[in-house]
Amino acid sequence: MEDLILELKEKIIEVLNLEELTPEDIDPKAPLFGAGGLGLDSIDALELIVLLEKSYGIRLASAAEGKNIFTSVENIAQYVSQNRKK
Amino acid sequence: MTDSIAIIGSGIICALGTDKGQVRDSLLENRTGIGELHYLKSCHKELPVGEVKMSDAELKQALAVPATEEVSRTALLGAYALRQALADAHLSPQSLQGKRITLISGTTVGGTDATEQYSCANNTQAIARIVGIDCQQSTISTACSSALNAIILGTRMLQGDETDIVIAGGTEALSLFHLNGFNSLMILDHDVCRPFDATRQGLNLGEGAAYLVLQRTPEACMQESNIQAYITGWGNRCDAYHQTATSENGEGAFLAMTDALQMANLKANDIDYVNAHGTGTPDNDKSESTALRRIFGEEMPSVSSTKSFTGHTTSASGSIEAVICLIAMQNRFVPANYGWNNSTPECITPVALPTQKELHHVLCNSFGFGGNDSSLVISDREQPLCSIPTCECTFVGENEVTQEEELKELRTYISPMESRRMCKIMKAAFLTSMRALEKADITAPDAIIIATKYGMLENGQKILSTIHEQGEESISPTLFMQSTHNTLAGALAIHLGCHGYNITYSQGEESLQWALRDAQRLICEGKANSILVGLHNEMPPQLLYSKSIIVKKV
Repeated sequence: MEDLILELKEKIIEVLNLEELTPEDIDPKAPLFGAGGLGLDSIDALELIVLLEKSYGIRLASAAEGKNIFTSVENIAQYVSQNRKK
Repeated sequence: MTDSIAIIGSGIICALGTDKGQVRDSLLENRTGIGELHYLKSCHKELPVGEVKMSDAELKQALAVPATEEVSRTALLGAYALRQALADAHLSPQSLQGKRITLISGTTVGGTDATEQYSCANNTQAIARIVGIDCQQSTISTACSSALNAIILGTRMLQGDETDIVIAGGTEALSLFHLNGFNSLMILDHDVCRPFDATRQGLNLGEGAAYLVLQRTPEACMQESNIQAYITGWGNRCDAYHQTATSENGEGAFLAMTDALQMANLKANDIDYVNAHGTGTPDNDKSESTALRRIFGEEMPSVSSTKSFTGHTTSASGSIEAVICLIAMQNRFVPANYGWNNSTPECITPVALPTQKELHHVLCNSFGFGGNDSSLVISDREQPLCSIPTCECTFVGENEVTQEEELKELRTYISPMESRRMCKIMKAAFLTSMRALEKADITAPDAIIIATKYGMLENGQKILSTIHEQGEESISPTLFMQSTHNTLAGALAIHLGCHGYNITYSQGEESLQWALRDAQRLICEGKANSILVGLHNEMPPQLLYSKSIIVKKV
């Protein structure tokens, strides 16, 4: 799980172009969206959906589904390890 | 008071038919033109679309274009509708003798097509060349409001005696580029769309073209032109909220409709019918309903979206729907909001079936990415427009960026969280814009007018190569959201909180000329005192150019 969390952090930084951040800067339990968290928005959510499909073969049916999954890096890691096809 | 503007001809081609008669019949018989993908070579058979029921070969034949000649479908559709509009206006060589003619076309795909060398202006020129008309040309590219903005520009140019005859509208063919782009935003319905319906899931894309021929009314009367209706009011505003989503209170839409009604000297209850933008997305329909309720209150006129008939024809939608309004007025009926069945408190209740009604004043809405919101009033009687006084303007804060290294300076104005989404051309545009505003001592301009030869070419090329190399599934939503030519204008408006007039010209080397002229025109019309104008061009890898100027009323 640790490896997956690091991998996810790296991919998130790359795909969302968070140039100023390193994996160490991201707390795996911290909220990703909204104020108080990393401050990601709805556009980032769509990019994460594409990331899930491209890297792990997981296809979400709607943007709304993503909301429950993308709460924190740890949560995404759990979802990916349970549902990955790649 | 100045002359009113008459519509003396119109032409249309879309999923409902290849001329006004066919479109009229489809609307009266309540038959949708949306169906399974057939002409476009895409793997997405699950996405219903509103295609024109003619292949490229058939279009070429109809236009006497050699079968082997490389012409984009967008240009073919445009030429087809343009030719029809000119014929409808009975414009003979004699009646055109000595007259200043201007063709204004709106498109996005025309500027993302390699056949057009990624230039919207080339697309407009191809259309004029195929039809055989020699005239001044301009191209507007503001995503889904392009065609309506083209009509608005034409109206203003006639009002200001800058030209004598205008042909204005837009064209867009279905493409892998935007079909997959919209798919990456997850706003496409897998069933026929149902605007304003409780169960709506998204939009269906469509394609087509339509043009209006416009003339000042006294000249139209002298020529005994067949006046079909009049353009009596318009509004163009920016939602300044998000590149692709709409604000909850529909601010941009509300302001655009308010401006249009005010200009036409009409009260809300003078409007008999609203042809809504109504894409069928949960977001647009809710926010447009909010805006409509803010305008009309309890006295909602007949409202329908015709996008469940034609599909969302993007850059052509404004003119296609304007022609549908003309058809409705001429045949005294309100087109249905096809497919609507379930009311929901968050949306207005549209007209469910084609309904007989006398239509004197019609409002036509067209909203585009970048929060570009436009509204047009079409009337069956004249409402003379206010004359445009001459006035003086000054240019302040002019500055340029030509090298990538200079972009580091953007740090002084924009935070990393905001600039992370900015590609090079956007960084350059923001840098020169912020500098210009600073020099002119202005925090927010009243309007934003952008000129761009190639638009967001780097993003566009990335999307095209992704499709080519990795197939249709993996387009980045962010790239697509930032691929329309008016991305820069929209992003600047969002950052500056500018709800004013917002336009993007893509007319090749003349783009900046058109932008500056429009800035001066807008100031004379009394709609702005200071305008941010910019020219932003990129052609990777060698060209990066950005210039911004503030145009101010003296």
